[in-house]
Amino acid sequence: MVRYLITRLGQALVVVVLVTVIAFLILHLLPGGAARATLGKEATLEQLAAFNHEMGYDRPWIQQYLMYVQRLLHGDLGYSYQLNQSVVEAITQRLPKTMVLSLLSTLLAIVLAIPLGVIQAVRRNRWPDYAITSLSLLAYATPIFFMGLMMIILFSQVWPVLPPEAPQGFTVGEVLADPAGLVLPTVTLAIVTIAVYSRYVRSTMVDNLNENYVRTARSKGLSERRVVLRHTLRNGLFPVITLLGMYLPALFSGALVVESLFNFPGMGQLFWQAALKRDFPILLGVTVIISIATVVGALVADLLYAAVDPRVRLRGRAS
Amino acid sequence: MSESTEPIVRNSSADRDRAGVQPLLELRDLDTDIALRRGTVHALDGVSFEVMPGETLGVVGESGSGKTMTALSIMGLLPQGGQVTGGQILFEGRDLRSLAADEVRRIRGVRMGMVFQDPLTSLNPTMRIGVQVAEPLRVHEKVGKAEARERAIEILRRVGMPRPDRIVDNYPHELSGGMRQRVAIAMALVCSPRLLIADEPTTALDVTTQRQILELIDDLREEFGMAVILVTHDLGVIAGRADRVAVMYAGRVVETAATGELFRSPRHRYTEALMEALPESAIREAGEHARLYSIPGLPPDLSRPLTGCRFAPRCRHVTDECRTTEVTLSPGTHQHACLHPVPAASAGPVTLPAPARIEAEPAPEPAAPPTGPDGPAATPVLSVRSLVKDYAAHGRGLLRRDAGQVSAVADVSFEVAPGETFGLVGESGCGKSTVGRLAVGLERPTAGQIVLDGTDIAGLTGRERRRMHRRVQLMFQDSYAAMNPRMRVDAILAEPLEIQKVGDGAARRARIASLLDQVGLSRRVLERYPHEFSGGQLQRIGLARSLALQPRLIVGDEPVSALDVSIQAQVLNLMKDLQRELGLAYVFISHDLSVVDYMADRIGVMYLGKLVEIGPAREVVRAARHPYTQALIDAVPSITPNPAAARDGITIRGELPSAMNPPTGCRFRTRCPLAQEICETEPPLAGDRHQVACHFPLRPESSAASAEAGAAA
Repeated sequence: MVRYLITRLGQALVVVVLVTVIAFLILHLLPGGAARATLGKEATLEQLAAFNHEMGYDRPWIQQYLMYVQRLLHGDLGYSYQLNQSVVEAITQRLPKTMVLSLLSTLLAIVLAIPLGVIQAVRRNRWPDYAITSLSLLAYATPIFFMGLMMIILFSQVWPVLPPEAPQGFTVGEVLADPAGLVLPTVTLAIVTIAVYSRYVRSTMVDNLNENYVRTARSKGLSERRVVLRHTLRNGLFPVITLLGMYLPALFSGALVVESLFNFPGMGQLFWQAALKRDFPILLGVTVIISIATVVGALVADLLYAAVDPRVRLRGRAS
Repeated sequence: MSESTEPIVRNSSADRDRAGVQPLLELRDLDTDIALRRGTVHALDGVSFEVMPGETLGVVGESGSGKTMTALSIMGLLPQGGQVTGGQILFEGRDLRSLAADEVRRIRGVRMGMVFQDPLTSLNPTMRIGVQVAEPLRVHEKVGKAEARERAIEILRRVGMPRPDRIVDNYPHELSGGMRQRVAIAMALVCSPRLLIADEPTTALDVTTQRQILELIDDLREEFGMAVILVTHDLGVIAGRADRVAVMYAGRVVETAATGELFRSPRHRYTEALMEALPESAIREAGEHARLYSIPGLPPDLSRPLTGCRFAPRCRHVTDECRTTEVTLSPGTHQHACLHPVPAASAGPVTLPAPARIEAEPAPEPAAPPTGPDGPAATPVLSVRSLVKDYAAHGRGLLRRDAGQVSAVADVSFEVAPGETFGLVGESGCGKSTVGRLAVGLERPTAGQIVLDGTDIAGLTGRERRRMHRRVQLMFQDSYAAMNPRMRVDAILAEPLEIQKVGDGAARRARIASLLDQVGLSRRVLERYPHEFSGGQLQRIGLARSLALQPRLIVGDEPVSALDVSIQAQVLNLMKDLQRELGLAYVFISHDLSVVDYMADRIGVMYLGKLVEIGPAREVVRAARHPYTQALIDAVPSITPNPAAARDGITIRGELPSAMNPPTGCRFRTRCPLAQEICETEPPLAGDRHQVACHFPLRPESSAASAEAGAAA
């Protein structure tokens, strides 16, 4: 198990290093460059050259990259001149708020998607299955900005019960103090996730219900309820864990569209605005954070899988 | 229990019971339909039989006969779309179809138990053994956790599970197939049911394990005083275990009788044909070179309306009347639904069954003795010398370390002469398939030589290696899996010719046409896809593909194991015919000793990577010298019970050791009843023509064999 962990961590490190290299290269090879973006249109060539020299942007990229990595290892992600704060500060300000939004919507999605998927599987190819499938596909196919707009129109214009804007608080506490404002962004984010997850739960449940061990369980005279909940659901949910692990980076990156739409000051909005303004240190910083989250997410999913599935657990122990 | 007189005794007691005692289970005119997308399949049509308390009823039939659907109908476990549409299921006097769903469920859980075919998939993989076994107690008897665990341990002990107090906390994947089947049996018996339904309980297991499990079911039946319905395709299994037999064909019961009587004197023409199609019948009748009787055609499509006897289109005795008259089971204790039954045998002393040979059937051709085995001058087409194949067993990930070596094939040597059939038998995991793959060059050996037609293929590369494949071809167990489902048959058959750049388009088409003639398929199959064919037809196509390059040797890896008896006979006959016409040599790999006995000139027996015995087929099977071979032979269920084998035969207990750390010396010694200290040193393969690797061979080499060998030398 320890050996497995070390191996996986080693692989994770390689992936993170590669991601930073690629992100660094793409951002620095883009036309325009950081100097122009930072100093504006009015800046003279001398000013640009001076800026580039000061920042080290005139050195070979490999040297720049090594400098970047060196700072990175000291927890320094760089400085954003446009926000006039360090990248670490900008991220720590927004990350907790984004996580609140993502966690809430993920929880909502799981709580609803699992029962919906199970109902579809048990009543497959009958009307409850068809109805939920149709709604899922509709939700899946609708662009999220359109969905968000419809929510705003319906619940704060036509039937004004909820505010159209997300909480604007500076800290997590302030955001949570305005629960009404969180409803629309959370639900909008959750709807698409519900559609994806319930389809997934349905298919793994259908697969499992056709397994021989389910027939064995029925031959013991168990109620259909017990067959589904005690025998099938547990096995059907294992693959969902992988899906959840894949979802971890979304907790960090936030939802670009939803955050912009509801004016929620989170990671998604930070990234979006940085992209518009070519704020390279922010873009690079966020990319690195998300790539680490992605790799860690996959690792967590695997470990979780091993923790709940005895078949994987044993193999892990053996290796 | 295999004594041939015993079933009759049992039967008379059953007759006596029938007067006073009510049957435990009675099916009356049961109809079951399965609704599929393409239409409704009438899986059961008027199935009637009864099971007396404490008796074993064997239900036998080929795939699609409805035997499993009957079992599932009784248990109320039909697949989606399945429904019992008519008739009664009287269990302990009550019709299950008229009871409330909850009550039926209780009966299913407490009064009945079922064991399924595949022990590897029929247990919940993520639930501890003890929890699964005790679940019926917890649900139906509301037993507490601690007591349920104790009772799970107790029932596991009774099904012969070693260390049951530890096994309860294991998961299914930690056990072998045979052990999992014991768990499944324990689970079915935990509430002490009156009826156990076993649906092909041993089909997925090796013969020696099969014997253990069947004996266990027999013992438990007496211990629990329950009745058993044993559903199987294997006539041999039925013959040794059942009191009475119901033979099913195309959704109907066509014959029922006491076991001894049925095998002594089958009345329905289908039962008769089925028995004649068994390789063991052909050998008994006319020696090893006899032709099998094969039932022509395929079973009917049950989604269409059918009139008359359903076997009529394939029957040798069919008359117009058969096609139009609905035949019902005749009254009495030996019932049959046949207008032209086999004349009843006189109820004299039990003799060997003598199925009537039919005049219309071409007499077995005087077997052209294979030119190979006796001619010492002939160079072998395949010569395997000191073959070794190890697989590295390793962990996952980048930092994996070799966890050890799996010794799949360890120092195996044999030769195959031109035109000869060499049979390779052994249980799963013995390395016989690995030898096959090595022989055709699909894998490279760790050590040793494979000399094909005089060239060592281990050293070949590039073009020479490609050309080598013209001389040896492989035939698979599952031909469907071995064909690209998106290729038409013409493309499948042309592919070997294209790869080897043989001839132009016209020449290839001509070659394909002649291949189809050889395997007895019409030209129309060329435009169809693999999924449109039945198992037997696919096996013919697979054989045609193997023949495309006119090889000298075909390695068949379980080529008929997935087929029903009647279809198996067709394919075996075809293989023998082609061998005679084309002078082919076969390496015939199978776990089924009776098929190998029928097909092979010489047989090699493998155990855990070692060749333990090799010799002329008749001698290996009838005068085995290695204790393992004898145990294997004794475990094969036969329709002619052999009381001597049942009493004095060698029975293997325990589990196959791991090939990762095989026992030193003789690898069989850990399970051998004759093992002594000397067995820790490896016995050499010794003898002239009939060689054995054993310190204590069961019998000396027969003088005939050694004399012949002496003369040859």
